[in-house]
Amino acid sequence: MLAMVSALPAAAQTFELGSMAPKRTLSMGVLYAHDSWDEYWEGTLKRSNGNIGTLTTQSVTMMTAYAVTDRLGVMAALPYVWTHASQGVLHDMNGFQDLAFGARFRLLNSGPGRYGTFGASIAAIAALPTTDYTPDFYPLSIGTAGRRAASHLTLDFRSNSAWFANATASYMWCSNVRLNRNSYYTDGQLYLTNEVVMPNVLNYTFNGGVDLGRLRIPVSLVQQRTLGGGDIRRQDAPFVSNRMDFVKLGGGLMYELPKSLSLSVGAARVLNGRNVGQSTTFTSGLAYALHL
Amino acid sequence: MRFTSSPSGRFMTVSIRRPLRLAVISCSAAVIASCDKSVGPFEVLPPLEPSSMEPTAGQWRMILLTGPTQIAVPAPAAVASPAYAAELDAIKLSQANLTPSQRNAIAYWSGGGVMRWNQIVRELVARYNLPPAPKDEGGYPVPDAENPFGDPAFPFANPVYAARAYSYVSAAQYDALKSAWYWKFQYNRLSPARNDNNVSALIPLTDLPSYPSEDGVISGVTVEMLKALFPAAVEEITLKAAEQRNAALWSGKATPSDIAAGLALGKSVATVFLARAAGDGMRTAGGSPVLWKALADSATARGEIAWVSKDIPARPPMLPLFGQVRAWNLTPANIVAERPGPPPSTSSQQMKDETAEVRRTVDNLTNAQLAIAQKWNDGAGTYSPPGHWNDVALEYVRDAQFSEVRAARVFALLNMAMHDAAVGCWEAKFHYFNPRPSQMDPGIKTQIGLPNFPSYTSGHSTFSASAASVLGYLFPSGATSFAAMRDEAGISRMYGGIHYRSDIEAGKAHGERIAGYTLAFAQSDGAP
Repeated sequence: MLAMVSALPAAAQTFELGSMAPKRTLSMGVLYAHDSWDEYWEGTLKRSNGNIGTLTTQSVTMMTAYAVTDRLGVMAALPYVWTHASQGVLHDMNGFQDLAFGARFRLLNSGPGRYGTFGASIAAIAALPTTDYTPDFYPLSIGTAGRRAASHLTLDFRSNSAWFANATASYMWCSNVRLNRNSYYTDGQLYLTNEVVMPNVLNYTFNGGVDLGRLRIPVSLVQQRTLGGGDIRRQDAPFVSNRMDFVKLGGGLMYELPKSLSLSVGAARVLNGRNVGQSTTFTSGLAYALHL
Repeated sequence: MRFTSSPSGRFMTVSIRRPLRLAVISCSAAVIASCDKSVGPFEVLPPLEPSSMEPTAGQWRMILLTGPTQIAVPAPAAVASPAYAAELDAIKLSQANLTPSQRNAIAYWSGGGVMRWNQIVRELVARYNLPPAPKDEGGYPVPDAENPFGDPAFPFANPVYAARAYSYVSAAQYDALKSAWYWKFQYNRLSPARNDNNVSALIPLTDLPSYPSEDGVISGVTVEMLKALFPAAVEEITLKAAEQRNAALWSGKATPSDIAAGLALGKSVATVFLARAAGDGMRTAGGSPVLWKALADSATARGEIAWVSKDIPARPPMLPLFGQVRAWNLTPANIVAERPGPPPSTSSQQMKDETAEVRRTVDNLTNAQLAIAQKWNDGAGTYSPPGHWNDVALEYVRDAQFSEVRAARVFALLNMAMHDAAVGCWEAKFHYFNPRPSQMDPGIKTQIGLPNFPSYTSGHSTFSASAASVLGYLFPSGATSFAAMRDEAGISRMYGGIHYRSDIEAGKAHGERIAGYTLAFAQSDGAP
């Protein structure tokens, strides 16, 4: 359910597109993601649901990044999302989700030292819904339908051999969202309003891997902590402001083809969660870099 | 660039020298509407200043009580008595030391006990309106009134359970308050703040006699009803009720003996309603596997496709014998006589056409239609369709500045009509046992949850037509608006993909006929 496909992580990935690009490089890419789960955490209780079966979310994200200088990059990303439940009677949903855009600035770069190169960068990203899709049909809603902004701090290390590692912490502010109904019950209370307070979200990402020139092999561990929100009640449907936490392990391959093209594939699996599906995600992307 | 100087120093330098980054961050922040994300307060209730004391309410027609004196309230001590003086002193002492939380309680309950409890009951319905989860070994457990804290919790406050619950609370409050009004004007003991200038009136003061206290009556009758209807919520219900009584005392509205007399009266009235509830047929409304099969066989024998549960695993139908639960203003014979004629045969061209209409609608739903489907969804986890109409009614009651007894009349008439609509609708649903659109055409996927009971007629349409009729009678200025809501609630079920057009139209007409019985009561109940 629930925040597995989101413009913001896609946006963060988009920076990867341009991460090694010299200034005045325009990168364009498209990323396909296939995310599915047949078990989810109802609060902390892991279960399946015959009225959902397997919940599949597919998305195609168009991304672009531009290296303004060697230190400053800007990006934008827009996913189109499809959701489908394999069992039960609930209708599919699909549509353009949120437009994410942002900038990343390289704060420092130690240059090659005894062990390698250290660096740090910060980024700011915002996301805005592009259509009035509904946030009130979880787990089939295609997103939260709220405005969000996130700040990222990344520390990275590149060894003098082929190893690299980086760690990112991000804090995401989420605006309230509005429903089409005037009351809802969540987190132990009846709310007599159409406005839902969305909790903010912390995210920690660790990446590590090996860079063999044309081939780059990263693995990642992502932890999302939602700073508030209620649990899904017993046999209730998920709700947009639920406390959606997870730890996700992933890995992939990025390969640079001739003519400025690069291919990437990846897979990830949620190891543990709360109010989210235990999803398995496969991604594949194609990017093209143009030096202006 | 070399990693030489202090990292923090470099960070600061960069921050200041790079206006572009700042621009991006401030732009991101501007995307968020406001830093203060809190919502509420909800349904603000200003301090009640009734436009009428309703001195004749003690004579208005009762629902279950034989009359206003069925439960006797003994005469109070004289205002000049030492006992009464001691009570006044106790209030003054409390008022001298009020804490902020006590002042908050006074402000909260000054909005009106009937309306506050209506909000609380809606919250309880929303909390308990969740179906049991399937068992690992298959099948579903049944909520058990003797084990209300278990999994599943008791009750499953589905729409018909909720309709009945709202009606019992409202009807009992109404009879209790009419009786209280009789005794108030019998004894004519004014409020402490009226009797003693040294008692502060922390709420708008009226000339309504205080003995027995309406807050005592409402808290007593409501707690007893809710303990039976929502037993697992006993702790918070009792705390709320005690707070209401304390607020009446602290505010200078009632003395301990006013409140005690009211509490005793309210509890006694509740026993009358609880006795009815115990024997109204609810306990056996779940039926049995033999009954469920007989219902399906009966439809099949008529040559119709019988309803089947689309829940996975298949779930027993929701309270199939609710149609035999006692109604308030219709006899069992009335219920059968008012049953709508049969739905289009499942083998008819009309049924094919109506099924096709549902499919066309859900697969081409506009955002405006989806908004209507969601607005009236009132499905699992919500205060249910009857709760939605209580929500609608509350704003009219508040704005009309009704006294507690007249507010109780509105909710009693509204909720009796919706309970009767639930009984009539369920009787029809399980008489015909008609399949849902998603059963007739498995390609029909729904935009809202699919209710687990037969299709014909639409419960939303029936509830809403009954509610709109009663509210239109009570608040003629809102009649057009109520009728528009009724129609929107009805068609929302087709937008959701869960009802055919004929379910909606038959339900609407049925609901209006059923409301006629409650309107007949209302027109002859003696309330001006």
